[in-house]
Amino acid sequence: MSVTTASGSRPAAHLPGRASDRSITLALSILAAIPILLFLLLPLTGILLRGFQTPAGFGLGNFIQTFGADRFWRLVGNSISMSLTSTLIAVGLAYFYAYALQRASIPLKPFLRIAVLTPLFAPSLVQAQGLILLLGRNGALNRFLGFDIDIYGFWGTTIANALYAFPYAYLILSAALAVADARIYESAETLGAGPARIFRDVTLPATRFGLAAAIFVVFTLVMTDFGNPMVIGGDFSVLATEVYNQVIGQAQFGLGAVIGIVLLVPAVLAKLIEKRISARQHALVTAQSKPLEVKPSRGRDIAFSVYAYVIVALILSVLAIVVLASFVRLWPYNMSFTLRHYQFDVQNGTAPLWNSVGVSLATAILGVAITGLTAIVVHKFRNPLTGPLSMLAILPAAVPGMVLGLGYVLTFNDPANPLNILYGSFALIVILSVYYNHAHAFLISSTSLKQIGPVFDEASTTLGGSTLTTLRKVTLPLLWPTLLGVGVFYFMRTMVSLSAVIFLVTPSTQLAAVSVLQLSDRGALNQAAAFSVCIMAIVVACLLIVRTILWLAGAKNVTLIR
Amino acid sequence: MHLTKRSALAALAAVMLSGTAMANTITVYTAYEEDEAAAFLEAAKTSLPDINVNLLRLSTGDLAARIIAEKANPQHDVLWGFAVTSMVNPEILEGLEAYQPVGLDQVPERFRDADGKWFAVTGYMAALCVNNERLQARGMTMPTSWADLTDPSFKGEVVMPNPASSGTGYIQINSLLQMMGEEKGWEFLDKLDQNVAQYIKSGSRPCNAASAGEYTVGASFALRAVKNIEEGYPITLVVPSEGAGNELEANALVAASKNKDAAKRFLDWTLSAEAANVYYDWKAIVTVPGGKMPERFTSAGLPDDVSQVLFPVDFKAAADDRSRIIQKWQEKYER
Repeated sequence: MSVTTASGSRPAAHLPGRASDRSITLALSILAAIPILLFLLLPLTGILLRGFQTPAGFGLGNFIQTFGADRFWRLVGNSISMSLTSTLIAVGLAYFYAYALQRASIPLKPFLRIAVLTPLFAPSLVQAQGLILLLGRNGALNRFLGFDIDIYGFWGTTIANALYAFPYAYLILSAALAVADARIYESAETLGAGPARIFRDVTLPATRFGLAAAIFVVFTLVMTDFGNPMVIGGDFSVLATEVYNQVIGQAQFGLGAVIGIVLLVPAVLAKLIEKRISARQHALVTAQSKPLEVKPSRGRDIAFSVYAYVIVALILSVLAIVVLASFVRLWPYNMSFTLRHYQFDVQNGTAPLWNSVGVSLATAILGVAITGLTAIVVHKFRNPLTGPLSMLAILPAAVPGMVLGLGYVLTFNDPANPLNILYGSFALIVILSVYYNHAHAFLISSTSLKQIGPVFDEASTTLGGSTLTTLRKVTLPLLWPTLLGVGVFYFMRTMVSLSAVIFLVTPSTQLAAVSVLQLSDRGALNQAAAFSVCIMAIVVACLLIVRTILWLAGAKNVTLIR
Repeated sequence: MHLTKRSALAALAAVMLSGTAMANTITVYTAYEEDEAAAFLEAAKTSLPDINVNLLRLSTGDLAARIIAEKANPQHDVLWGFAVTSMVNPEILEGLEAYQPVGLDQVPERFRDADGKWFAVTGYMAALCVNNERLQARGMTMPTSWADLTDPSFKGEVVMPNPASSGTGYIQINSLLQMMGEEKGWEFLDKLDQNVAQYIKSGSRPCNAASAGEYTVGASFALRAVKNIEEGYPITLVVPSEGAGNELEANALVAASKNKDAAKRFLDWTLSAEAANVYYDWKAIVTVPGGKMPERFTSAGLPDDVSQVLFPVDFKAAADDRSRIIQKWQEKYER
């Protein structure tokens, strides 16, 4: 069915009252599709087509050269084995962490919710430096505690990536575990099922979509990240570092683009199997649902408390050692206290920090609107646009930031493009940040939407509510805590993301993450760490302010992160 | 009436003034490190008070990628302090315009393009960073040359940059290959490879790793060692006695510049005595006569006259051989 017949030629006769509705849903779908075509598909095509450009003209030369090398297949093997291991670790641990927070009574949950997200708003330098200060050959464990660990290589990369991806998995799984129908649990108990059986037969199947989404997100994230393997990988090379070698190391866009295309494969595969997974996902909240309340259970609560605090301790120790080192004269040689690293002598001083706050806030607002709309269109409306739209929505997960950033330069710096006026402005940086993080935000929203039963929509429609009314009165109220979390996610990521925006910053649009890079590039690692600490402090302060505003507005029980 | 007329005139004047200010605004892309660039820029502002310089600083690789991506509509007027082996990339070179700045004859011929598209006033040189604490703890002797690093006592204690991702890494192995001839050069690299613990994917990180005590020797470049010594790290700067590989940082005029007069004046300035003075404060290699090497360099271990220890690199061959050498290097040593 073509787009026009869907909206116009179908008579409203046999479905009274629905025709205008259908045009509204179609209009909303088009509204969701236009920006994603302009700001994701267009730039991505622009850069990836470079894969077909060879000195001899348009052709498959770069692919033949790449696929013909044994080295390439070794990198594929490295990437897959490392990504699978990291995914297994991150998703496995995050599932039970989210479970502990959603389904058990443990002390200081608000702290645990924020603490686990620190890898999201710690600049990548902090992660890398923290791991080396902690686990390096001259790191704290080896130097002060007499261990003999050599972190560089496969395991270093795997652990660093699992740590980095953990909060992404947590956010999705937490959204999946947040909603449950108490009645199912009650009947399971009445039928005599034990906790293990309930977990296997009720909880696990109910979170199938979230689990699949988390696996996809972590796998693609780890597959496309080059930061961790660069720093802690030693000689261990993966596809993402090969993109870096080609594009940044040798300015070979063509060969880099070929690998960029290869990295899209997991996203396409995920899309193909997604249908099978979601087909078996049933809505968790239906009209008769009773929210699940956590019942006290001493043994379970103690076990999960210990588990959650061990995880948080591991995550925070990496961060803490960098914070500590930023207050020390010269780690690990001279441990006297100093504030000298906080006297920033980088270009523009701390001004980029405030630019970043502005850009991140704008990204959060625009991001919530765009991702929220896209997720609703994909999951609540059915029309020919939704399939391609949902594919595009998750595609950014498989695109290295460097590739998207260069795609933006190629597309929006072109004087023939009417959107060229955006080039060099903060606006384009905001848009890039929205699409760079689009997949993760979309999947967090989707996980929540999947769990809201169609009964609500049907009931609302039967009662004469239009699509818009249903959206406003039913879907959005159920979805808004998740959307708030999505906004927080966007804010945190945009404060520190670097690999894509580095190609868009200009002398008048400097960002905090770039300052950190400038400092570390010139060897002032301690100052770079101190600057990172300021970024993290600002993120935490912003979260507290938003929390206070919500509290004053009367939303006392809403958490910023589910 | 009078008042409005006057304020209208004032507004007009303001527009005109800002118009002239716009005409004298140039955008400069540089790969100089951030602190160097800031010091140079300050000197430039003193000498050229009427030119407003917008400076974008990125590392060599990031900047090269950006320039190539922006090729259809270049945003910069001047390319300043940018590695020559990247400058000669055809996709970058074709966007440059030949220009003979005032004072170009001070620059020796081998430090400028035959077609006049670029000239290099500064450069950087390879050097080893040796961690004193680790060296002592392991009872090793201070190396003075690349050859010393092939001694079995250094097994697993040497880190080098990966030439596929780092320009510094490339100039190190390329200078060894030029120096020894390819056959002997690869044989030497085979031996060196036995002791190399990691080929790190950055040019400055090997020195940082040695400074942090992760490894004993990090092959890097001289200024990184000087700055890390100033930070207080217990390392020694060693210029390999075979001769130090080096790279030029060149300046060029962008053909698409809409503000060539100001851009040319800026390029003239890069060859002025004022510029030379401030270059000498920050760079190990300055190709024009002028100031002298600051004390902080010599006390860190650089000789007064670096030209004595530099290997005379054939820059054109280095650029031409690049992909072939990197490919062979990857086949042989990438693990």
